Amino acid sequence: VLNLHRQIPLTWVCLAKLMPHLGEQKRTAVSLFRKLTTTSNGEGLEELPLIGSKKHVQELKCRADLVHCLPEKQRLSVDGGPLTLEKVVCSLLHMGFSDAHINELLSIQPHASPQQLLDVISEFILLGVNPEPVYVALKKSPQLLKMPVGQIKKRSSYLRKLGLGEGKLKRVLHSCPEIFTMRQRDIDDVIQVLKEKCLFTMQQVTEILHRCPNVLQGNPSELEYKFQYAYFRMGIKHVDIVRTEFLKYSLTKIKQRHIYLERLGRYQTPDKKGQTQIANPLLKDILRVPEAEFLAKTACSSAEEFVVFKKLLAREEEEEPESSTSTEEEEEEEGEEEELC
Amino acid sequence: MAAPIVRSVRELMRLVDFALVPRRHRHKKKWAATEPKFPATQLALQNFDMTYSVQFEDLWPSIRVSLLSEQKYGALVNNFADWDCVSARLEQLNAKDFVSEAISHWELEAQSGHSAAPSPAYSPNLRCFTFARGDVSRFPPSRLGSLGVMDYYLMDAASLLPVLALGLHPGDTVLDLCAAPGGKTLALLQTLCCGNLAANDLSTSRTGRLQKVLQSYVPQDIREKNQVRVTSWDGRKWGELEGDTYDRVLVDVPCTTDRHSLYEEENNIFQRSRKKERQMLPMLQVQLLAAGLLATRPGGHVVYSTCSLSHLQNEYVVQGTIELLANQYSIRVQVEDLSHFRKLFMDTFCFFQSCQVGELVLPNLMANFGPMYFCKLHRLT
Ligand SMILES: C[S@@+](CC[C@H](N)C(=O)[O-])C[C@H]1O[C@@H](n2cnc3c(N)ncnc32)[C@H](O)[C@@H]1O
Repeated sequence: VLNLHRQIPLTWVCLAKLMPHLGEQKRTAVSLFRKLTTTSNGEGLEELPLIGSKKHVQELKCRADLVHCLPEKQRLSVDGGPLTLEKVVCSLLHMGFSDAHINELLSIQPHASPQQLLDVISEFILLGVNPEPVYVALKKSPQLLKMPVGQIKKRSSYLRKLGLGEGKLKRVLHSCPEIFTMRQRDIDDVIQVLKEKCLFTMQQVTEILHRCPNVLQGNPSELEYKFQYAYFRMGIKHVDIVRTEFLKYSLTKIKQRHIYLERLGRYQTPDKKGQTQIANPLLKDILRVPEAEFLAKTACSSAEEFVVFKKLLAREEEEEPESSTSTEEEEEEEGEEEELC
Repeated sequence: MAAPIVRSVRELMRLVDFALVPRRHRHKKKWAATEPKFPATQLALQNFDMTYSVQFEDLWPSIRVSLLSEQKYGALVNNFADWDCVSARLEQLNAKDFVSEAISHWELEAQSGHSAAPSPAYSPNLRCFTFARGDVSRFPPSRLGSLGVMDYYLMDAASLLPVLALGLHPGDTVLDLCAAPGGKTLALLQTLCCGNLAANDLSTSRTGRLQKVLQSYVPQDIREKNQVRVTSWDGRKWGELEGDTYDRVLVDVPCTTDRHSLYEEENNIFQRSRKKERQMLPMLQVQLLAAGLLATRPGGHVVYSTCSLSHLQNEYVVQGTIELLANQYSIRVQVEDLSHFRKLFMDTFCFFQSCQVGELVLPNLMANFGPMYFCKLHRLT
């Protein structure tokens, strides 16, 4: 251990300063970070209460190990030199990242500078995302670490304008980290489809992006088709499409379960007045439940039959491809317009 | 913003209108004011929902989804083609001859003493390949073999059951009262038992199709030797025309053709305009079965069959006809028990367990054949 400390003397200093509040750090990460950014490094910390000793020494060792584990090259050759690395590690610890996570974060993009890592992570923390989800997102999409910080800032402020600031971004970042790396145009296309083709209100659009961020990754025309399927084919209203997170399920799964129920005689498309002759199952019992539960409780059918059904349905779909994207024969009638809602 | 809405609405109409009919069976037509508000296929489904949910209770949903999904076929090997070779080719597809499978299974059980049942009487020489339960493979289209006839005939494998149940013996004089388009007629000829076969159907256009089937599957000399006679008469008159004549009679009556009625708009029996005709079906069926029984020689056998699930067209017709013959003609007719037959083929088909008379194959996704009702009758006097 001593040997280690000689190699990276600054870690000692830095970590020693942190010692008093190590136990607390995870819970207070965000507020702590805010403090750190508003006061000068040393002062802000000294004000925090001191806590007992033995455990901290152990943790300290771990931290030293952590830094030691880093590849030689990274430790020494990054632009700012060892000093930057120490600083980054310290800051990450401040933010509430665990040793193991910091270690891994540093090895995601071994060639990127630790400063870049810190900048990117700081942006997410500022957006209200906690360390754990930030870590998961970066592991899932390492390309985030290559983004120029300016671009992340720009995207962040855009997302905030969409209403995705504060806590909401966590979920989005978790299931769709690409929201930061995507082209602006692609995001705009999705939003345009939701607003102008599906006629969701802006508030509903925000809610959809929050609850079903994977819509951003999909093809916009497929998204439109999925909406139409929900609205026209299944008779689900806008509010319920949002509330039930309908758009996050794949069209394949939606169709498999819906058409199965329909052919079993357990689901009916509501008529113009929204009425059906049978009581349709709740959407959550159709889509949100695992397949076994869907079969046992909602479809009241066997797994082997559903397996065959899915094969047959796939073949039906394949043999007459969806008409939503292709223009079909029935293009000429313009008379049959009807209000959507 | 108008354009997308128009498009959405068009999509809506497409989606809603086809809500109940599998897409591949859609009746392709343009939107028009004349589009029937209630397509016959939907009327059929409504009718089935009402009657069959009562008749089959908990079984109905699984039958329903099967009727609305792709059916399975069987490949009836043409014994007049190079059948060895054809069978080998079908085996390569991983299909199995369900008839020989069932028989050898039965023989094995009989040898090991597990089954005391008598050897079931069934028509010989029939080979029909099917894919295993749950296997949704399809057969390639039949083709012309080296002997100048087609190598196999694709049909609902359950359609073979009435012919199997008829239990033909070599040299039998056979009548197929409602024969067109001819799947079962062809199967009757494949037993190689018909000393004489009369194939009749009221509709001349349909007997035309029957002739074509026979021409492409049966060599001319056999057709002549077997003395196949194709006619277009009203089957109801057969008792008067040729009473007490036949050893075996197949009465495969017109019915609501349940599966077909859910797919095809054209000529659909559930069209509003055909309501009377539909209501008269059981009556017509009784008349045809009675005629078939009258045409049978005393001691001969009749199989009555439909491709409907309706008790009214199945068991009631059989029971009503037996009564009618007893009362009006003093002819005694007995229903033959086919439960051994059901056991024999239960690996291939899903049978309804609660028929009072006859057997009924229920469509099931694992074995999507049928519906097929068949009942074997023995004319005693
Ligand atoms: C279920 S289809 C027969 C199918 C045929 N056995 C086969 O396997 O291909 C019923 C047939 O009965 C015929 N039919 C209707 N009324 C009839 C009658 N009065 N006499 C004889 N045939 C009749 C119809 O034209 C129709 O072809």
